[in-house]
Amino acid sequence: MIHFVILMSRQGKVRLAKWYSTYNMKERARVVKEITPMILARPLKLCNFLDWKNIKLVYKRYASLYFVCGVDVGDNELITLEIIHEFVEVLDRYFQNVCELDLIFNFHKAYYILDELLVAGELQEPSKKAIHKHIQDQDQLVENAKNGIGEEGQPR
Amino acid sequence: MQSKLEKVVAGLKTGPRFLKELREFDNLVKAIGECKSKAEEDRIITQELELLKQRLSDPKLDRSRGKEYMIRLIYCEMLGHDASFAYVKALQFASDPNIHTKKAAYLALTQFLDHNNQLVLLLVNTLLSDLKSDNYLIVCTALVAATKLIGADLVNAVYPVVVGRLRHPKEHVRKKAVLALHWFGQLDPRREGPLAGVELDKHFRTMLCDKDPSVMSAALCALHECIRSDPRPYKNLIPSFTSILKQVAEHRLPKSYDYHRFPAPFIQIKLLKILALLGSGDRAASENMAAVLLQALRRANSSHTIGSAIIYECVRTITTIYPNPQLLAAAAESISPFLLSPSHNLRYTGITALAGITALNPAAAAEHQVAVLDCLEDPDDTLKLKTLELLYKMTRASNIQVITDKMMGYLATCSDEHIRRDIVRKVSDLAERYAPSPAWFVSTLSEVFRLGGEHVDEGAAHRLVRLIAEQDAGLHGSAVEAYLGLLEAQGGEGAGAPSAAPKKKLPETILLVICWVLGEYGHLARRPPAAVLSRLLSILSSHKAATERVRGCLLTALTKLAAHTGGAAGPVGAALLQPHGSAGGGGGGPMGREAAELVHQCLNSQNLELQQRAHELTTLLSLPPPLLSSALPVDAACEEFSAAELAEVATLPFLDPLVTRALAAGAAPYLPPEARGAKTGEAQAKGLRFEAYEPAPYAVPLASSSTSYSAGVNDARLHLGSTSASTSTLAAAASSHTAAAATPAAGNQLQPQLVLKSGGPRKWGPAQYESEPPSQHTAGHSAGSSAAAAHGTAAAGAGPASSSAAGTTTQSGGGRHSRSGSGSAVVTAQNAERERLAASLFGTAGGTAAAAATRPSPAHRPQQQSQPSNGSANASQQQQQRGTAAAPSAMDLLMDLDVPQQQQQLTAAVGPASGSGR
Repeated sequence: MIHFVILMSRQGKVRLAKWYSTYNMKERARVVKEITPMILARPLKLCNFLDWKNIKLVYKRYASLYFVCGVDVGDNELITLEIIHEFVEVLDRYFQNVCELDLIFNFHKAYYILDELLVAGELQEPSKKAIHKHIQDQDQLVENAKNGIGEEGQPR
Repeated sequence: MQSKLEKVVAGLKTGPRFLKELREFDNLVKAIGECKSKAEEDRIITQELELLKQRLSDPKLDRSRGKEYMIRLIYCEMLGHDASFAYVKALQFASDPNIHTKKAAYLALTQFLDHNNQLVLLLVNTLLSDLKSDNYLIVCTALVAATKLIGADLVNAVYPVVVGRLRHPKEHVRKKAVLALHWFGQLDPRREGPLAGVELDKHFRTMLCDKDPSVMSAALCALHECIRSDPRPYKNLIPSFTSILKQVAEHRLPKSYDYHRFPAPFIQIKLLKILALLGSGDRAASENMAAVLLQALRRANSSHTIGSAIIYECVRTITTIYPNPQLLAAAAESISPFLLSPSHNLRYTGITALAGITALNPAAAAEHQVAVLDCLEDPDDTLKLKTLELLYKMTRASNIQVITDKMMGYLATCSDEHIRRDIVRKVSDLAERYAPSPAWFVSTLSEVFRLGGEHVDEGAAHRLVRLIAEQDAGLHGSAVEAYLGLLEAQGGEGAGAPSAAPKKKLPETILLVICWVLGEYGHLARRPPAAVLSRLLSILSSHKAATERVRGCLLTALTKLAAHTGGAAGPVGAALLQPHGSAGGGGGGPMGREAAELVHQCLNSQNLELQQRAHELTTLLSLPPPLLSSALPVDAACEEFSAAELAEVATLPFLDPLVTRALAAGAAPYLPPEARGAKTGEAQAKGLRFEAYEPAPYAVPLASSSTSYSAGVNDARLHLGSTSASTSTLAAAASSHTAAAATPAAGNQLQPQLVLKSGGPRKWGPAQYESEPPSQHTAGHSAGSSAAAAHGTAAAGAGPASSSAAGTTTQSGGGRHSRSGSGSAVVTAQNAERERLAASLFGTAGGTAAAAATRPSPAHRPQQQSQPSNGSANASQQQQQRGTAAAPSAMDLLMDLDVPQQQQQLTAAVGPASGSGR
């Protein structure tokens, strides 16, 4: 299973962190602190897997962002890479050509999307289209609710 | 950058409401973005948290801004600051009617809390009502929160509601309910805690038949977890899984499940994983799935990563289930593009898959030797490490030297603790299993100690010492020389040239081994004993912080060295016994002073053990020479007492005259404890009851045997001397034929337990397949079989092999060189080097290809191999086990080694002997 997903910038700043295994605050900070230099220091051409403690780190760089997953040692590394890629594709479609700033300012949206993709460290939705539909529904509903509450009488 | 700015500006323009709502958050993010230092960032966040604290505790809190506050809190927490003051507030916001705020609050809670947190209790009611909500989005949100927050103690509260959601009309809800149940199942995997009696898997089986593919895939996740803990109850699902896989692979799912034009690869891979678990070790099940596996493998192609992922998973499944030659061949074929790929990722997985195949079919690696060598020389550490793992799996007696060389080379450059420990373990394991000769074993292990001694467990050190003890004088001499060299390199030649860079200190374990070896066999050194003494003393000067354990061993080593080199009169003894403070008049010069200084220090040491050892040293060296030499015999470390001897010694015959004399003088006769107890019991029958006290355990045989040395040294020695003679001849005979197992089968009861085995497989540890003498000569592997015989054990033997291997190597090497594109002259040099390497790595592997392929049931191979040509392997295997069984007390044993039994017993004997005298 996936133990955690971390998005970090090239400067090592955390943009998004989701923990599926139990880590307390201190452990979370330590994990981030320890894996950041390992990943940032890796040259581009090398393979995207790293053994770290009893976890395998699978990471991929998209523009200025690193997507890092910590998975079980026995997991299929290639499929983890593809999960990352699927996440990026979904983000890309949602934000229309996603960039780091989208994720900085709308990081809660990124969390919602990730919740649609992964639950309890497992991939829950293999279909991009379904994720999209769900997120759109959600936005629609939020929009309706907000209009309903904020500006009375205006049906969206 | 410019484009990004434009985009933000555009975004801000189009969404004014968004801007208003999140202005403060935006400002925060911007301020953080502009921070130059971590301190500045911390300051801003602290300010922000203060502000939020104030706002949230304000009774006139603007609830419509709840979402924004939650998001700001998540942001602060994400940057590593504590926002625990707001947890309760987030719980309140979770019950907010506004879905907006509710979602943000749930998100915040899943980020902040986990299922061990007590606060979750407060959320249960909210969660339950949300799970029953009409709005399916709210139900989804609550289900996602449940997968993170519900712990074992709360499962029962939400379980019924979640099960009810399995029949929700929306597939999103059903899917999330399945995943929530999956999480609950993980909380209590054995179903004996809160979930006792609950039939989770029944639900999963039902959901597997859901009409929506994503619900089915969620059920697959859950079933995978169940099957992982116990595959047996799920064997009847194999037909369902295979038919699902077949349909998926045939593109029967809706187009929306395609991923880069591969049909639902994520579902395929999940299914493959499940099939691997179900088929492992089950012949019938494996045969049922073979056709589908082959189909899935054929349909995938490595044009895209996802295709490679499927192939990789197929190969992993094929190597996990009951071996099927046809599938294995297809798997081996399908990974060759991986190994030749320019992508490191693919090569990495290729090597991993190859390692799996090699375990079943040792010939597989030989076909890819060039690729494997490439990976081994790759600058990428992860890849290199994986390749070393592959090599570890394909090691056999013929290529052990090259492989350990490679591993050691990596060990020398690697700094990661975990990896180092792993490599050290592997090298010592391989060396024990396949060492071609004792001398090689000793030098290899010593090198391992030098490079990674901090990770060696003492058991390995103990086995090394034991092995050295068992060998003949020639090896003792070479071990002594090797260790002296090691100390020399370490000491930087005393006061001569202070080495440029301070060298790495030798770890404690190797120091102990060195002390023991130099003590026991230092007299065999090719230099005068005084030089050995100075080397030993240099341990102290180069390791200022040497522990007392090392010092203790050093003292004992000095004692033995002195005893073996002429006692008190010899150069070492004289140096050691110099009166303290004498102005260096004696034989030793400055070195002697140093030695005497050490002895003197230890005599007055606070540490009792050091003190005792120092006293032993002085006492022993003051004994008359014949007595000394029998107390510390030369080369007697691997003698063992036979049971008969022990029994004889335990009766303490040599005390008889003493006892008769005492009895004649009127002493009371000895009463055994039981008799004594009966007597006193009568007398005190109506007094206090003493039954509760068990009689103390008297006289452990070994300890009492020691008395022989105080009184009857000489005749006891005679016995031991004879056994020593017999064991040493056996040992000498054994070490003379190095390639075979070291112990002759006869008399192995008397033999010491650790026996160096070159061929004998172990019962425990990873299964490995021995290369047998090639019986069939396959065309494809001319290199292997012809080289195999000539090759034997020596690394130098790689020469002849390289020529015959050239054909295969250069031919397939073409691909690689076009990639590296270096000059041709360099290439040929490299080529030759690589060929040699390839030949020595794969030399014998190829020859077994045909034999291995024709073998009907690979799973039975381990048993077949346990009868290699050398008939004694079985015996030696047992011995090995006994040897390792003894290892747990390594700590004690290592200490004991330094005080050979005789000496220890001498001191122990003081008590009983004097006691009976009275």
